[in-house]
Amino acid sequence: MSDVPKGQILLEAKALTRHFSVRGEGGFFAKKRLVRAVDDINIALRAGYVVAVVGESGSGKSVLSRMLSRIIAPTSGELFLNGELVDLKSQRSLAYTREVQLVLQDPFAAINPVRGIMHAIERPLRIHGTPKDQVLARAHEVLESVSLTPPQQYLDRYPHELSGGQLQRINIARGLAVNPKILLADEPISMLDVSVRLGVLNLLRELCDKRNLAMMYITHDIASARYIADETVVMYAGQIVERATDTSIIDAPVHPYTQLLVRSVPDPENLESRHASTAPDAASLGFNYEGCRFSPRCPEAMDICRGNQPPVTEVAPGHSSRCWLSATDAQRSAVSISVKS
Amino acid sequence: MTLEHNILDVQDFCVDYGYGESAVRAVSDVSFTLGASRVLGVAGESGSGKSTLVYGLTRLLRAPGVISDGEVTFTIGAEGDQRAFDLLAATEQDLRAIRWSHISIVLQSALSALNPMRRIGREFDEVLRTHDKNSSKESRHERAIELLAMVGLDADRLDRFPHELSGGQRQRIMIAMALALRPELVIMDEPTTALDVVTQREIVSELYELRRQLGFAMIFITHDLSLLVELADEIMVMYAGHIVERAAATDLYHAPRHPYTLGLMNSFPPLHGERKELSGIPGTPPDLKSLPAGCSFSPRCAYAMDICHSSKPPLVPVDETGRLAACWLHDPSHSHSVPVELARKHVRGVEAQ
Repeated sequence: MSDVPKGQILLEAKALTRHFSVRGEGGFFAKKRLVRAVDDINIALRAGYVVAVVGESGSGKSVLSRMLSRIIAPTSGELFLNGELVDLKSQRSLAYTREVQLVLQDPFAAINPVRGIMHAIERPLRIHGTPKDQVLARAHEVLESVSLTPPQQYLDRYPHELSGGQLQRINIARGLAVNPKILLADEPISMLDVSVRLGVLNLLRELCDKRNLAMMYITHDIASARYIADETVVMYAGQIVERATDTSIIDAPVHPYTQLLVRSVPDPENLESRHASTAPDAASLGFNYEGCRFSPRCPEAMDICRGNQPPVTEVAPGHSSRCWLSATDAQRSAVSISVKS
Repeated sequence: MTLEHNILDVQDFCVDYGYGESAVRAVSDVSFTLGASRVLGVAGESGSGKSTLVYGLTRLLRAPGVISDGEVTFTIGAEGDQRAFDLLAATEQDLRAIRWSHISIVLQSALSALNPMRRIGREFDEVLRTHDKNSSKESRHERAIELLAMVGLDADRLDRFPHELSGGQRQRIMIAMALALRPELVIMDEPTTALDVVTQREIVSELYELRRQLGFAMIFITHDLSLLVELADEIMVMYAGHIVERAAATDLYHAPRHPYTLGLMNSFPPLHGERKELSGIPGTPPDLKSLPAGCSFSPRCAYAMDICHSSKPPLVPVDETGRLAACWLHDPSHSHSVPVELARKHVRGVEAQ
């Protein structure tokens, strides 16, 4: 559909960071505390590729998607659209939203319940200047592309008349209406019935391949990331802790957090895993901003982890981990020098 | 622990929403028995009737829900000294005596189950005081601390408000409260669905441990079949208010007999093995107001035959082990072969070695 070659970087974030200041413990006059929701994230979305961002609630994955769609302004960092630096001080432009679209988790909340489906599809088209006489044809086209046929039958309905799976397809169709090059999907299947999830997941993959879309798929379900993604990124407390361009991140995870995540997925093939030891609850321990953020929960934490930010090390081609366990000797000695001096 | 007796015996249980012409049947002719200290898993999508079933059994159903048919017998006590209750005939007063002391329930959303204006300690105190009016405040406090320790929480949580706790901690508190009066049967309605996968794992292994120690029976409801295989002894799969398959957990997982069960399992991308395209289940979940004739699953079923569209399959034993399935494919009076993926063999007890 678009003329960009497959694999070209369409949207790139460099050192993207967002901090929120919140009231600390101890009432109204307590000192403000900084929450580092997203910290120093580098991510590139390429035409025809799906990047999965995996993390638990509070890992910053949704804040990242809001920054990429420019709903939340970053504290610092740079954003490149089609290789050009985006002026983050400026208002988000129509030109930006035409290229980058966000699909949200809950279709029942994302689509106006008192207006018909036509309204939902028509709005972005009208706002982005599709001539009135072409709107209907275009609406039919996008509904067909998400396998809702015959389209007119859906356009005449109201959201409550559709099932969750159908409504999520409408939600995706709305995102695709203005023909964006980049689609950010924030937990698009987690609210859906289990039997229709895979259908929506297959649809996203198919759209990505057919339209050469650059897609970011945000999820807490690491198995679905393995199913759909070309690159998988695991986030913990605002940082990318491990990433890989193949399934090795799930088949042979390096970072202790990814290992914990993979081990926690119910796995009837391996019933012994249900007795596996688990890490303490994140909320009761808080994060360690001095050293590795996972160190309070990490079963393998060493002294170096508590006081020093772990470096990012490439453990295999296309597979990197932010952990002292996988750090090179050079990276370790760099720290001991700085400690001494 | 006592010898295995059936703690719960359910026969032809039906629940309607509404009356007369406009009634919608949400649970249809469900029969099962649950042995003391056994775990029954109930799997199904939203609208399959799995929650309505347990609300009906425990008489927690609210209008317009009506129990329209069936018998539910709840039996407690050791061999020789058993007391049976007819739960459907029980008065409010009888139910008050049974609820929490003998049957307790943990709901999906712990945040809405806890009073946001009260400290956790007060919730515990109330439960313990209501059911034992002669207890002292100190003994209740001690018991609350003991219960928290059981689910791996510190005693200082008693002074906290619900909003100060994480989702996992709140759900642990719900579990501790459900166990407060040492019930014989605990019902869990999607207790981990709203939680992160790591927290879910922690809670599930805790439940596993608690059940080993305390030996209560459990009905565990979820849409996550893989989770059930880990926890349950036996699994019932529900679709449109009917039980479509019932079997021992590992049998069900390794050798499903109903096409819907097979479809559900293929709806979860696997964690291992080659990446290949899966199809899930085509179509959309049924609308209870206008169920298709014959088998409710037939419009979405890849194996549907003529009979499936006209006549409802009964839930009958499909092999010598006594496992049940409601599917015409396994009916020998029809001349056709059973698809190989629905006729897999599974040797019982392999994983028990």
